[in-house]
Amino acid sequence: MVTAAGSLVDERPARERQLIRFVVFGLVVLIGVSGLTARLVYLQFVRGQVYQARAEQNRTVSQSIPSTRGLIYDRNGRLLVSNDPSYAIKIRPSDLPFSRRDEVVTRLSSMLGIDAADINVTIDSNPGSRFDLVRIAQGVPVATANIIDEEHLLLPGVEVSVESRRHYTDGPLMSQIVGYTSAIDADTLKALKDQGYQPDDLIGQAGVESKYEPYLRGTYGQETVERDATGRKLQVLSTDSAAQPGDSLVLTIDTKQQQLAEKAVTWAMRRAGLKRGVMIVMNPQTGEILALVSLPTYDNNKFANGISRKDFASLLKNPDKPLLDHAINEQYPPGSTYKLVAALGVLSDGKLGPTELVQTKAFIQIGPDRFWDWNHAGFGRLDMRSGFAHSSDTFFYQMAQRLGIGRLAYWAHQLGFGAKTGIDLPGEVPGIVPDEQWKQDLFGQAIFPGEVLQAGIGQGYDTATPLQVLNAYAALANGGKLLQPQVVREIVDADGTVVRPFAPTLIRKLKVSSENLRLMRLAARQVVTSRHTYNLADVPVVIAGKTGTAEFGVKDSRGRLPFHNWFVAFVPKHGDVAKPDSELAVIGFAYDSNTVGNVATEMVKYYLQLHFNVRHDYRRFDLLRKGNFYGGN
Amino acid sequence: MGVLKAEPARAQDWAARSVGAAWRAFDWQMTIFAVLLAGFGQAMAYSNTIAAGDGVFDAGSTFARGLVWAAFAIVAFVLAAAFDYKWLRTFAWPLYLVNLGLLALTKVVGDGVSGAARWIPIGPFQFQFSELAKILMIVVLANYLASRKAKLDSIWTILGACLLMVPAWALVLLQPDLGTSLVLGGILAGMLFMSGASMRWLSVLGALIVAAIPIAWTYVLIDYQKQRLLSFLDPAADPQGSGYQLLQSQIAVGSGGFFGKGLTNGTQNQLDFLPVQTTDFVYALLCEELGFLGAMLVLGLFVALIWRILLAAWRSQDPFGLAIASGIASMLLFQLVVNVGMVIGVMPITGIPLPFITHGGASLISIAIGLGILQSINIRQTRAEW
Repeated sequence: MVTAAGSLVDERPARERQLIRFVVFGLVVLIGVSGLTARLVYLQFVRGQVYQARAEQNRTVSQSIPSTRGLIYDRNGRLLVSNDPSYAIKIRPSDLPFSRRDEVVTRLSSMLGIDAADINVTIDSNPGSRFDLVRIAQGVPVATANIIDEEHLLLPGVEVSVESRRHYTDGPLMSQIVGYTSAIDADTLKALKDQGYQPDDLIGQAGVESKYEPYLRGTYGQETVERDATGRKLQVLSTDSAAQPGDSLVLTIDTKQQQLAEKAVTWAMRRAGLKRGVMIVMNPQTGEILALVSLPTYDNNKFANGISRKDFASLLKNPDKPLLDHAINEQYPPGSTYKLVAALGVLSDGKLGPTELVQTKAFIQIGPDRFWDWNHAGFGRLDMRSGFAHSSDTFFYQMAQRLGIGRLAYWAHQLGFGAKTGIDLPGEVPGIVPDEQWKQDLFGQAIFPGEVLQAGIGQGYDTATPLQVLNAYAALANGGKLLQPQVVREIVDADGTVVRPFAPTLIRKLKVSSENLRLMRLAARQVVTSRHTYNLADVPVVIAGKTGTAEFGVKDSRGRLPFHNWFVAFVPKHGDVAKPDSELAVIGFAYDSNTVGNVATEMVKYYLQLHFNVRHDYRRFDLLRKGNFYGGN
Repeated sequence: MGVLKAEPARAQDWAARSVGAAWRAFDWQMTIFAVLLAGFGQAMAYSNTIAAGDGVFDAGSTFARGLVWAAFAIVAFVLAAAFDYKWLRTFAWPLYLVNLGLLALTKVVGDGVSGAARWIPIGPFQFQFSELAKILMIVVLANYLASRKAKLDSIWTILGACLLMVPAWALVLLQPDLGTSLVLGGILAGMLFMSGASMRWLSVLGALIVAAIPIAWTYVLIDYQKQRLLSFLDPAADPQGSGYQLLQSQIAVGSGGFFGKGLTNGTQNQLDFLPVQTTDFVYALLCEELGFLGAMLVLGLFVALIWRILLAAWRSQDPFGLAIASGIASMLLFQLVVNVGMVIGVMPITGIPLPFITHGGASLISIAIGLGILQSINIRQTRAEW
């Protein structure tokens, strides 16, 4: 054992014997390293050029082959969108040296007419990695695209790609229904990456383009591509899977009716100086939406071409929210149109006989508060039909009291209020139907007796979308079937085979007898014939309906509230409202109308005139004068 | 230092005379060369972290892990240097059993990389015990050879050393880790040679190994190992298959030129053309990004380091120290030649890491322990002159 210092002396001779071995070991080190060095010299100098070229060129990339996006037709087969070939300019940031970025961006900016700052923001907010393409511009003119392609040496990292761009035949007319496609954002990409979405992809962003994205998109293919150092595609090495075209949509929308409805709304808005207007036309028998107009709106072709940041910002800043579909994305107090809820409720619950008379008054006193009828006088003794026709507030206050908040909420839910209708458009809101639970949850308080009265006439906490109001009256018109409104009729694949045929979807059969429904249809007819709606009775079409004037916001200096106007109508097929055979229901909604008469009624009247080709013009321009009309609902 | 207290008289003795002398005997050159090599490794870790798209100091990034391992390695180095190397002889046999135990554990619970069980998770880190096994085997073999110093001419010394190696070999091959088993062979050969084992019998043994290669090829090697071994002969035959790595590696090395493309600018690295760029092929990316200059600096540092280790072996006053130093030198030389040879296409792909440069805590810490032991040898050889 070698543990003591004494033994060290013995080992000294052993070392001399090993000198040769140290030398040999050293030689092995030198020979080994020299060999490696020689090989390095060979690779890095002799063959350096070859390998440098290969490193630059031998960059195969697997990329997706876009599928052909499905088309969209109206119900008569009119093409609403086409796929036009278009040039897009994209940048692969990894191929754009940082030192040259300013120069390249400035050059692109002048070629494309896009703000350099916008380009920089786009590059920096790129949802993919540095090696993924970023979309800078789309819908670029051929000449510009050619110049950019030719100058690729001056524009490292910039690529021109041919892609198909959505061209919307009617632009703003259909924007709220059709929607648009635009570049995918980072969060959406993260969620959909597994489904083959690319960082430079387009995706449906609104309307049916968004709601039916999985059908319309189809399935992207995959190909292996060789690229050079500036990122330009050199050749396709192999197609790994072919692209499957998307399915096409046939809408329930009738372009002709959409145009007429838009004409009517535009007229009324211009005439009465409205900021927002809505009209929806529906077939009550099937739930098909024939027209849906929400103004102001936007041009979906601007989005398809890559909207500029300035234009987008101005759309977002507009207080009247042109990007929203006011028919479904916003909820408003429904006013007297909501009296249908209390009416069907008291009749069905047996709280009021069909011909029972009720004393109406100037106001109903609850504690210190007076709840006025709209004419501040009352209408004497009325039965349900007259009470509805006069839209007597004190009549319906009493109906609400007879029902109580719980049953009132029950009947509101029966008619589809307080829940999304399920229309196949994005962003629908459910509206509010107040009840004890709701008030407790939100305010920690019980419902006050006065709030019950308000809930009976569509004021107070009640809110609804125009589509919900229309759908409730459609159920009245068709004899008690609450249907899910639909804007897409059929889905058709690329071969023309119907993938999903049209089928009306029943939400519920109303728990209301057909006698009571018939009574309320007659009551709705009496709204018109009693001249509550002025000369609408003179139009040579049998129209039934209900007006609404819904207060909102804050009182003016004379204690008056601003208000919205509503008119919801249906037209019996053969002129007899007693029969549940209507195939046409329309709603007009005028936001913050501020007119002496009900703009919504005039709007619907004009639409029906156009729809039925009525020669004589019954429009009452005088009713659209500015004036803080109060009452007359 | 705690260990030294076990023998109070000696510790006092040492402490009283040695601080200044030990400081002078400490081999600063060896340490600096090792630190510089580790610095190159950390620079490549930085580049790989950028390529992976991670934040440089993100927990779990190659760079951050490298820093943590480097800290551990420094501690291991200091402890090993402070520890009197002769004490290792007392612990040689227990160390041998611990070593075999750890290798067996790796086989049982190891995490597979390319179908092999090599990694043991320890908290957030993974540890490759086969790296530690190399150093432990060096200690065990050195102890054995020192105890046989009078019988070095005998064939039994050689056979005994081989016998000691067999269980470790078997466990490593079972993982299966062909690379480490080859390194163990290199270490064994180097230590026998440098310790003065009979040249005659060593030659006979070498001839037998050459003759055994066809048998090993048929019965020992697994398909993926054979495929990798063969692809180096003609990487272009299957450029998208098993030769892909070699081809991309050579493109990376060749495209580097004299000055390289610059750290983090290697397209082969940053675009992921070279698989496992953080492990065995790091040297290829070093060549790509730092060029011939960087590649030669690394080779030069290795030569310098091995020279300092051989010097420690020469200075060693006992066969145990000599054997340990020659074991570490053999290990570094073998891994250097085989790894770099593999990267530049003159050696088959065997999965042998490049010490200091390949990212891996176990490798760095094991080398730090080895170098620490060498410093311990250096410090403690000067006592005769006091």
